Amino acid sequence: MPAPSRSPRNPVADDGDEFRFCSTCAFSAACLVSGFDKSRLGELHVLVEHAGPYRAGEHVFREGDRFNAIAAVRVGTVKTYVTDPDGREQVHGFFLPGEVIGLNAISRARYPCNAVALETVMLCRFAFPTMAELATRMPGLQQQLFRLLSQDIGKAALLAGNFSAEHRMAAFLIALSRRYAACGFRADRYQLKMSRTDIANYLRLAAETVSRIFRRFQDQGLIRVQRREIQLLNRQALENMAETVLRDFAPN
Amino acid sequence: MSRRQVPAGVSFAGMDPSTGFDAELLRRYDRPGPRYTSYPTAPLFSPQFGESALREHAQRSNAEPIPRELSLYLHIPYCISPCFYCACNRVITRDATRSAPYLARLVREIGMMAPLFDRDRDVIQLHLGGGTPNFLRPDQLGELIGSLGRHFHFSTSPGRDFSIELDPRLVQDGDIAAYAALGLNRASLGVQDFDPQVQRAVNRIQGIDPTLQVIEACRLNGLRSVNVDLIYGLPRQTLSGFERTLDTLLEVRPDRLAVYGYAHLPELFKPQRQIQSADLPGAELRLDLLRLAIDRLTAAGYRYIGMDHFALPDDPLTQAQDAGRLHRNFMGYTIHADCDLIGLGVSAISHIGDSFSQNARELAGWERALDEGRLPLWRGVELDADDLLRADAIQQLMCHGAIDIATLEDRYQIDFQAYFADALRQLRPLQADGLVVADARRIAATSRGRLMLRIIAMCFDRYLVPAAEPRHSRVI
Repeated sequence: MPAPSRSPRNPVADDGDEFRFCSTCAFSAACLVSGFDKSRLGELHVLVEHAGPYRAGEHVFREGDRFNAIAAVRVGTVKTYVTDPDGREQVHGFFLPGEVIGLNAISRARYPCNAVALETVMLCRFAFPTMAELATRMPGLQQQLFRLLSQDIGKAALLAGNFSAEHRMAAFLIALSRRYAACGFRADRYQLKMSRTDIANYLRLAAETVSRIFRRFQDQGLIRVQRREIQLLNRQALENMAETVLRDFAPN
Repeated sequence: MSRRQVPAGVSFAGMDPSTGFDAELLRRYDRPGPRYTSYPTAPLFSPQFGESALREHAQRSNAEPIPRELSLYLHIPYCISPCFYCACNRVITRDATRSAPYLARLVREIGMMAPLFDRDRDVIQLHLGGGTPNFLRPDQLGELIGSLGRHFHFSTSPGRDFSIELDPRLVQDGDIAAYAALGLNRASLGVQDFDPQVQRAVNRIQGIDPTLQVIEACRLNGLRSVNVDLIYGLPRQTLSGFERTLDTLLEVRPDRLAVYGYAHLPELFKPQRQIQSADLPGAELRLDLLRLAIDRLTAAGYRYIGMDHFALPDDPLTQAQDAGRLHRNFMGYTIHADCDLIGLGVSAISHIGDSFSQNARELAGWERALDEGRLPLWRGVELDADDLLRADAIQQLMCHGAIDIATLEDRYQIDFQAYFADALRQLRPLQADGLVVADARRIAATSRGRLMLRIIAMCFDRYLVPAAEPRHSRVI
């Protein structure tokens, strides 16, 4: 008897093994293009190690921890945040399967933010600076690192502009949809793994405002919300709203 | 219960259960069964469910994109005298001073529970139950509701339901006006039966005129709706006596009527030991009493909502059933789906997030917990994915008499026929008896089956194993 899910769970990436990459691997394409398969990466003593599971609420790293690896999310969702001097949390971003955390630590010796699992999380860790050295010999890998870095900067653009609450929310939903689609999951129906206060914090809105907009979008027939599940019913309308916000943002 | 909606069109609106009345079948299926005000049912709650679990479920419910509105239930356990049929949790006393310390602790409990819920979650439903809520005087109720208003945000929607159960015998002049001024807009009156013989046998002497005057006062003071509770199957009950009760009430046309079957479980409920088994109507008479009620009420224009409940056609309950938005919880049927239910007071049950929990059943335990600064939890259960799915299926059955298969398949990503192969097998004899029809689209109670929704729902209950001692009331 298959266990029912309340709604389609965001599927789990299929695990790779010694000779195959995980289906959501952030680097597989770059490495394959450069002529390295996974076994050769191993030979090069690149530390690729699976880490986790981290349980919901467990930290993957904390601000100030020594930086020694970037990590690709294999399963689950990770939130990054900092705490301001007044003790208030500021959410930096959410990372889905196939996405890489720790990129903003590359230029420093320590992680500049906290990363916490929002649900059960499995990671793939790529040791630094070993990987950076490898990149100098693998143009594909280097390009991929640059691409990831620029996307990481692009994500911040979501917050930077002076956009209305509706537009931010539409952009958030569309960006999530694109990101889920990019790693092979459903684009029109997904679970919000982050709490509404996390969403509110990330979009610089009040929690009540977030709920009010969700309700308005639902009343307008743009989405359907059931518990934590979002269904995009009128994608075009959401895309139109999101456009101004996402213009400069290249989705994964 | 799960708080999902069923698409409109699967309601069994307009069906008259009396057309499906089949005494032989009713007798055959008359066996103990849960009332499914929750799934899993209360006997499955476990003391392992503690305060941290409750807090976590509350927090998770706050974290949803659109957190659910709140429904508050407050239990006032005191009664001035014991009605012998009673299966509720209550304390018999004529000492009015006992209410003050209870009230003080209840206010403390409100102060402990309220902060678990985000302030933008409106209270859309409030129900004062018992026991006898009007054991408290209006100024005490005012204190209670005032405290609730300070700790929660009351919805300003005209659709909010703030209701109180009343013992008409305790209502004094001006009480109803005071309730209305407190914002209460619904009342539910216990009547059971006006037959003096029955009233003596159950130790509840209640005059017709004072009762009707309370109903009148509710209307004069603008309460939107009056419900009356009746019970069939009481000791010394007769068809003619019950008929007079029904006729008397139909003259004032309460908006809703509940006709409960008396469940004689003296080994579980002590007060019932005062009832002589020899005085109880036999199975034949029970059925006739039920049929009488159904015939009279449907002829008078009431809609049979399901289980024990009838409502006038323009009642919001009837309209919600037509629209496929009816919901069922510990307080019975309601139009407020998708609420988190917060139970306050001794023995009260909560439904928060994907959990059910119940407060200490004994006054002493409830008091001690609050005095020690703990939530007065006794037991509870966390619903897993299978529970949620089955709760949804059972909810659909109890509220709309049908399960919409495609809806469940889409919501839970299952193959219904494969997942419920066992349930479907158990349904077969019920189909053969004409209680249920099943096709690829839906499982639906027939007009015969409507009176036996519990029997149909039991096929979807994973936890049902034949028990030696009945823990539930009989189905009919």
